[in-house]
Amino acid sequence: MRKSWFTLIAGCMVLAVMLGGCSGTQAGSKEATNEAAHETPQESPQELVYAAAKDLIDMNPHVYAGSNSAQGMVYESLVEHTEEGIKPLLAESWEISGDGKSYTFHLRKDVNFHDGEPFNAEAVKLNIDAVQRNAKKHAWIKLSTKLTDVLVIDTHTVELVLSEPYYPTLNELSFTRPYVFVSPRNFIDGETKDGLNGYSGTGPYKLVEHKVDQQAVFEANEAYWGGSPAIKKITGKVLPAGETTFLALQKGEVNFVFTDDRGTDSIDVDAMTNLTDAGDYQIVRSKPMNTKMIVANSSQTNSPVHERAVRQAIWQAIDRETISKQIFSGTEPAAYTLFSSNVKYADVDLPQRGYDPEAARKLLEEAGWKLANGQEVRTKNGSKLTMKLYYDANSSSQKTQAEFIQHELKEIGMRLELVGEESTSVAKRRSAGDYELLFNQTWGLAYDPQSTIAAFTSESSYLHTTKGIARADELYDKIADVTVSMDETTRKSLYADILNIVHEEAVFIPLTNGGVTIVAPQSLQGIGFKQTQYELPFEKMNFNP
Amino acid sequence: MGWYMAKRGLYAIPMMIVISFLTFILIHLSPMDPAEVVLEAQGVPQITPELIAQTKAELGMDRPFLIRYANWLIDCLQLDFGHSYVSGEPVWTLLGPAFLNTLQLTFASVIAVIALSVGLGVICALREGRLLDRSVRGVSFFLTSMPSYLLASLMIWYFAVKLDLLPTSGMASSASYVLPVVVIAVNYAGIYFRMIRSSMISQLHEDYVLYGRASGLSETTITMHMIRNSLQIAISVFCMAVPIILGSTVVVENVFAWPGLGSLSMHAILSRDFPVIQAYVLVMAVAFVLFNTVSDMVNAAMNPKLRGDL
Repeated sequence: MRKSWFTLIAGCMVLAVMLGGCSGTQAGSKEATNEAAHETPQESPQELVYAAAKDLIDMNPHVYAGSNSAQGMVYESLVEHTEEGIKPLLAESWEISGDGKSYTFHLRKDVNFHDGEPFNAEAVKLNIDAVQRNAKKHAWIKLSTKLTDVLVIDTHTVELVLSEPYYPTLNELSFTRPYVFVSPRNFIDGETKDGLNGYSGTGPYKLVEHKVDQQAVFEANEAYWGGSPAIKKITGKVLPAGETTFLALQKGEVNFVFTDDRGTDSIDVDAMTNLTDAGDYQIVRSKPMNTKMIVANSSQTNSPVHERAVRQAIWQAIDRETISKQIFSGTEPAAYTLFSSNVKYADVDLPQRGYDPEAARKLLEEAGWKLANGQEVRTKNGSKLTMKLYYDANSSSQKTQAEFIQHELKEIGMRLELVGEESTSVAKRRSAGDYELLFNQTWGLAYDPQSTIAAFTSESSYLHTTKGIARADELYDKIADVTVSMDETTRKSLYADILNIVHEEAVFIPLTNGGVTIVAPQSLQGIGFKQTQYELPFEKMNFNP
Repeated sequence: MGWYMAKRGLYAIPMMIVISFLTFILIHLSPMDPAEVVLEAQGVPQITPELIAQTKAELGMDRPFLIRYANWLIDCLQLDFGHSYVSGEPVWTLLGPAFLNTLQLTFASVIAVIALSVGLGVICALREGRLLDRSVRGVSFFLTSMPSYLLASLMIWYFAVKLDLLPTSGMASSASYVLPVVVIAVNYAGIYFRMIRSSMISQLHEDYVLYGRASGLSETTITMHMIRNSLQIAISVFCMAVPIILGSTVVVENVFAWPGLGSLSMHAILSRDFPVIQAYVLVMAVAFVLFNTVSDMVNAAMNPKLRGDL
């Protein structure tokens, strides 16, 4: 008996020692990095430690699972999308042929990949060919369906041949994926679609460490062709819970937070204000980057949402100013058009349509939706004015907005049923056309208007939304024309027509304009934004000496 | 004992096949097209019918249900658990480290749970009905009923931010273990110490205690005998606490940014990352079988009456 007791105690001790040893070695190897990460932000803030809601997952920029912001630091494209339009990046200059079907790029000569491989026309060809061999995954980027050949003219000149003219070519080449360049040495069997054996780009930062679900460390690329960045080290720490992120910011374990890829702020507005009031941090907000909206399914012929008057009434019944002030604490301005006026080609004169519940009631009355005495919901030919609004159950702001809108529509005699679902299931409804109303957002400055508008005709995106309107065919013809049009004036007028049609039909009911919010140390300077909500130009930031 | 273990191991195999088959069925009962869910999870911006067809063919989803299961099973027997649908990495390079991280947290927590439950259970039993007993039960009731994310956030705020004693999150050093272990321990010890306490109290009225006292044994010796007898019931409960905690750390891992199984399995389930889910279920099933066996063996070691059954 005594022996069995002894065995048990000895067993427990061995287990405890093994465990201690286990965590000890773990701690030993990791302590150094931890101390660096822990002390630097507080004592000599020369590095940024940002909080990421999830792991960067995959650094392969030729597919879509990974984090945009991380890939944006490491890889570069031929051209860059800026506020002033398309500017040179890895290509110094370019020519477009008269028929608009050939683009010749003259590459920078002083660029190497992080692994020392030279960046040249051959590398461009290998990368773009690899992307094109997986073209089905890139259907959203119309260039992938029009690009027929990549020709190496000389070491630093490359020509892209298209099947037909496509004006957004330069735009689409500027995106963070897929047309960015990975060192050919990282390809596996000449391909990139099934993974890479390393992540060498040409960008200002190199990935030096990646611990899954813990952190990713980026170091400045000292040989960067644009000059070595001032901030030498950037660490992305995975902090899934917003409360922990806030506490880690307070303690100084992280010193930088920005709106994540999915557009959700990981710390809420009140918490951010608390931090800046204490004096250690500053908040910087970008201009509007996209539009958050309700999408109405015009092709649901047996639902009230099929009627233009009903969609316009919803539009006019929503008080966006209150949503902006109360739900977003003023961080997202109210939106009254599908694209904000800083989006290219979107500065179009559209009829004003704001918050006017009285006008909404009148529209419904005229359309035959009558409110019987003592009833709360309008009826027409025996059917009730009821619709379902789908929202992402994981987004607290969508839920709050949905409840607010439900209340407002009740005031004009419309009943809204709210259905919260997983985001994939909402996306599935959108592509199957199995919805009446759902929450969505435009893709962002670099992608708007051309990518969002191209999606109006795509079954997996907004085809069901637009198909049921009276002028659908006219709309689709204009969309087909606009991407191949070579003349700027024609293009402008086509975009104006397209925007007028969808505005009049009220199939995209805008709510607010979203953007990027950054919380950064007070001493950080040069904080700016790119033309997308997904990446930040870290290489332009520096600390006060 | 060796034969017994082998027998238990053999019994476990059909059970695991049944479990994995049930998981397989449950995943495929989902109304959504698995290829489409996978593409969503891969972040593909526009999913066309052609792409869905191509993905189905690539992942073998176009084959009949039973053939897919059989293929998966055959690969598993060759220790090939496949690649994650989302990141394309081998499942074991994702699951292995996450499993070890959660296992370390679980072992540390179970040791804390045992120490806390036995300590408090014995003290409360010996002071039954007095102020100490009542206040310990009251406080533990309060703490156990507090949601663990709230308790965790409060502890991070006080110990990591205000007192600056510990890191807020992560698992970079041994100090990182303290807060998550305390949160888990407080949650579970509140339940287990009551069990120790009541079995200690029932021991108090046993004849051997009376005889021990009558024959002049010291109180310490008597208490030690009582503890040993009360522990017999508790041992199997504690052993099963390992897989239970192992499978229920999602909330704690989320708050403390612990790179473990909880967050991995959550992401895998949400993105229908089937190879990862299947491997996760297998790992959990093995853990339950293993610790069930361990609990039987420890019980047998402590109670000779049970040994004949093995």
